Parts: sequence; C-alpha cells; structure tokens
Amino acid sequence: MGVTWKNSGILILGLILAIFWIAAGQADDIGSLPMPRDKLYVEECGACHTAYAPGFLPARSWVRMMGELERHFGEDASLDEPQSLAIQRYLTDLAADSQNGTPFMRRLAASVPARAAPQRITETWFFAYMHDEVPASFWTRKKIGTKANCIACHPRANAGSYAEREVSIPPP
Amino acid sequence: MRNWIERSSVLLAALMALPALADTPAQILDNLTREARSQQASFSPSAGRGEQFYQAKQTGGGEAESCAACHTRDAKAAGQHVRTHKNIEPLAPVANRERFSDPAKVEKWFRRNCKEVLGRTCTPQEKADFAAYVISIR
Repeated sequence: MGVTWKNSGILILGLILAIFWIAAGQADDIGSLPMPRDKLYVEECGACHTAYAPGFLPARSWVRMMGELERHFGEDASLDEPQSLAIQRYLTDLAADSQNGTPFMRRLAASVPARAAPQRITETWFFAYMHDEVPASFWTRKKIGTKANCIACHPRANAGSYAEREVSIPPP
Repeated sequence: MRNWIERSSVLLAALMALPALADTPAQILDNLTREARSQQASFSPSAGRGEQFYQAKQTGGGEAESCAACHTRDAKAAGQHVRTHKNIEPLAPVANRERFSDPAKVEKWFRRNCKEVLGRTCTPQEKADFAAYVISIR
C-alpha cells in the first residue's frame, strides 16, 4: 500500500470537496445578512441608527414601520415618497421571509407568530439567544447605551456583517 | 471631426456642471439669508444669536432638548444621538467638510431636527443665524 495515483487522487478529491463544503457553509453563516445595494438605505436610515439588515424582520414588520415613519419610535423620520417607496421595496425584497432568505433568515421568520409584526429586532428570539452572555452592565456603557446600537460593537453592521470575530466592545 | 466636437462639448458641459454639485457653506448661508430677508428686509444673520439658539434648552419638542443635546456643546466634536446613541460626525464645517455642502441635506435636517427639538419648524431667521454660528466656528 504505497503512494499510488489512485490514493493521491482520492485524497486530493476529498480535500477539494471539503473546501467546497466549508465554503458553502460560510455563505450561510448567521453572521452575515444581505443588504440593499442602493446606498440610499444606509444614508437615510443609517443617519440616525444602525442600518439594520432587512433580514432581521419579516416583510410585514417593515411595511408597518414604513407606514408609520412620521411616528418612528417617538421621532418624525418621514421621507419623500420616492425614497420611502424605494426603501420599503429594498426592505421587503431582503426581509426574513423573502425569496432571498438565508437558512438563518428563514428560521428567524418561522419564529415570528403569523399575526405579529414586531417592530423591535431586540424583541425577537434570536437577539436574546445571541446575546445571552452579554452582562447587563455592558448595555449601559456610554458608547453603547441601547441594545438597538448594533454598530457600537459590530463595526461592519451597516454592511450586514455581524460575525462574532468582528465584535469589538467599547470599554466603559 | 464632428464626433470630436461633440465629445469635447459633452466633456465641457460635464465640467461646468461640477461646481453645482457641491455648494460652499458661504453659498448656503447666503441662500438662507436671502430667504430670511424676503420676510424681514432689515435682517442680517448673527453668529451670536445662532450660538444662543444652538445651546438653548427648548420645551415643546421630543427627547432632544437642544441642538447641543446631540451635537454636543462644542460643534467641532463628534456627537451622539440621544435616543439611539449612534455616533454623529461633527457639525461644524471646520471639523467636517461634508457639512453645509448640500442644500437639500441642510433643509432636510432643519426640517427633522427643528421638529424634534422645538416641536415646530424653524423660522428662516433662526436657520440663517444657526448657519452663521456653525460656519463661524474655527
């Protein structure tokens, strides 16, 4: 049983398959969600808060939110109609229950009761699940302040990236 | 030859359009002043009044009580949104060249933030004073 063409061929083929398998797994990484290509989304929504990935909520949540922009969490965030229509389309195109959903987004969509249209990402199950190791005192740090401030610890949140290796928690 | 003329005239037109893309803070202040004068001919913008307006605590608005609540008392410093805690780039053009370069953005943020802080729209005079103050910061 020496080194033969057959042995090495099987070994190399196995390695190539493993590489593809790992690469395909990365694509479904829950740390990465698709973002609208038009910079309008990050410019408008991201001016006041993290430009949350649309895949964090189902389309019905975004439709409700875009219909109530003049009373947006206690602020008037109204936009001109062409902009708000475009943004609503980007949000619903990439929503958790959209055709473009990753397996993670589909799981997320399935966890939201059919009649509910949650408005706060922090109130969905996965948020608590993903952050259960974060001590309560962290959230009140000056640079963080609120659980809605994703970008404080996830520097690439506006690009849809929430990978754990990128997390950088501001000191108190 | 004709083709060459066409191309260079397109290029020339594109170059001529360039300065129109970004206004200077001074041009934006001029426009705000003109608007204020159309209501009150004797008006002239005052950085001093603008500073008072910027720092003053207001009632009738939302959670942000003053311009300084988010933009900090020093408009050259980075601020923080009072509710979302998102970082806000400095407001003074001396510290952030993007400020007061796009009239549409200036109008949009006056509309939103006046409503948030004062619970009403700002008068043209208030806007011109505010701009005069923020632009005067060195």
